Amino acid sequence: MIHKQPFIWLGAILFLALVFSVALGAVYIQPATVIGILVDQLPRVEFPKDWPDSFAAIILKVRLPHTILIAITGAALAGSGAAYQGLFRNPLADPYIIGVASGAGLGAVTVMTFNWPRDLLGYYWIPLGAFVGALITIAAVYSLARIGRIVPLTTLILSGVAIGTFTSALTSFLMLNSNDRIYRALSFLLGGASMSGWQPVMASLPYMVVGVVMLVFSGHYLNVLQFGEEQAKQLGLSVERAKFFVIVTASLTTAVAVSFSGVIGFIGLIVPHLARMIWGADYRRLIPLSILGGSSALLLADVLARIIIAPQTLPVGIVTALAGAPFFLWILRRAKSEVFW
Amino acid sequence: MFEITSLTVSYGATTALRDVSIRVSSGEILALIGPNGAGKSTLIRAVSGVIKIDSGQVRVDGLDLASVSNGERARILGVVPQAQPLGGAFTVEQTVLLGRTAHMNWLGQARPEDRQAAHWAMSKTGIEHLAGRRNAELSGGEQQRVLLARALAQQTPILLLDEPTNHLDLQHQINFLTLVRELAGQENLAILMALHDLNQVSMYADRVALLVAGELMASGAPVEVLTEENLHTAYHTRVQIVSGLEGYPPVILPRRV
Repeated sequence: MIHKQPFIWLGAILFLALVFSVALGAVYIQPATVIGILVDQLPRVEFPKDWPDSFAAIILKVRLPHTILIAITGAALAGSGAAYQGLFRNPLADPYIIGVASGAGLGAVTVMTFNWPRDLLGYYWIPLGAFVGALITIAAVYSLARIGRIVPLTTLILSGVAIGTFTSALTSFLMLNSNDRIYRALSFLLGGASMSGWQPVMASLPYMVVGVVMLVFSGHYLNVLQFGEEQAKQLGLSVERAKFFVIVTASLTTAVAVSFSGVIGFIGLIVPHLARMIWGADYRRLIPLSILGGSSALLLADVLARIIIAPQTLPVGIVTALAGAPFFLWILRRAKSEVFW
Repeated sequence: MFEITSLTVSYGATTALRDVSIRVSSGEILALIGPNGAGKSTLIRAVSGVIKIDSGQVRVDGLDLASVSNGERARILGVVPQAQPLGGAFTVEQTVLLGRTAHMNWLGQARPEDRQAAHWAMSKTGIEHLAGRRNAELSGGEQQRVLLARALAQQTPILLLDEPTNHLDLQHQINFLTLVRELAGQENLAILMALHDLNQVSMYADRVALLVAGELMASGAPVEVLTEENLHTAYHTRVQIVSGLEGYPPVILPRRV
């Protein structure tokens, strides 16, 4: 059943995950009330109000922006993961594992250290810094990992780990040198989507819209690139241009994900992999499906993170790592005999 | 008319091809032969725009291929690469449709004529029944036919094949070459095919070009090129040519050393 109408199914799951995420928290608010509060916000709609004002404030000022930021982050991670996997023709390429997420994190933290955002304009600079960090990292990882015309699995992961560790260390160094902001930056690094309020959401949105449109346009390029660069050229693709487009796109979406939520691992690995197993390898479908699925998956992980040790909240990165690391090892073992890749 | 003139290609300091000139007419199969490392694959990769040409020209009906984009080249010239694993997760139909890349827009949407071309190519190569199967599930012979179908779907007047019968059993070798022979005639294609098996060359090729160490040693009709002297010089192996067998072209028999 889920094979036939993936967009409807994933859309429904995403909707439920969104409602759950808004409803859950220290104060439980019934889903019906959540929907009432949201509908009440629409212009010219008068909804019979039967909730205290504090509920509306919790929903609109705290949970809704948090939920949207998490949804954007999950979508960006899974979308860029699918693109990197297609680009490197490698099931283990994910923004976290190949070090791009750490590079983007360094870019974001650098911008924050020199110019802590005071207004919305300040927030807009952060994804840009992350984007530059991601591009530099991917260029370094790619040139280190490449042997002749191919990018083997082992060198890709090794150079990803090396560069990722290096940029993480630089990030820590920057953080330790900016005392008053240490707490903020540290929780950022732990991947808790700790930036709150509407400003991070508003600052992410324009980058995200551009990133998603570009990701969807990458689908056909990635399909042709699956035959290898040589055959792609013989089939008529402008290979260099296509690769450049995909790298810029995936780095931009990684930057969006990392900017306000820190480095969250494994969503970009697991979601595209599952989508490929269930719905096949056509990247024109795989990418939008990964975007929907990534959004839902991170929302659900975030819900878990909020209820496991309630009333405290776990950084969502810990939940994705706990679930993702075993999955990563499973793929690593399977990859040798992978027929559907 | 497909015309390679004075083609020279080098990898760094080593010259892989030196001053090679070859012509292939429509409806004709030209077999490219020569020992390992003679430059057969290099020639196919250079002509298809994958590696850089140092000097010389590749022209199709007077048009210099160096002056066209990848997309335009892929509408003129299709390539069947040496056997290698195909993207395993694609279905056969998806793979063949991607042969239409040069005809599609940048979203990769298949128009009715793209689907028609893909289905025509699949029926020509006898793989229509495999359309929904994934490449990873196919045998070597089936994958080779998928690659041929993908190149046919490009609907180009010229086809380049790089040792397409490697890894195929006898039945599939003969079926494949017979199919290529038919396509040359029916679709009036100009076909340049690198081959190892000299008897298959003798059976299927209209003309032969013999490459040795990057240079064209001989070219012409099979009987002119496949001589005991030429083959000894090229392969450092004594052969005997046996002709007059009923229903067979001249047969090449290597001698034991």
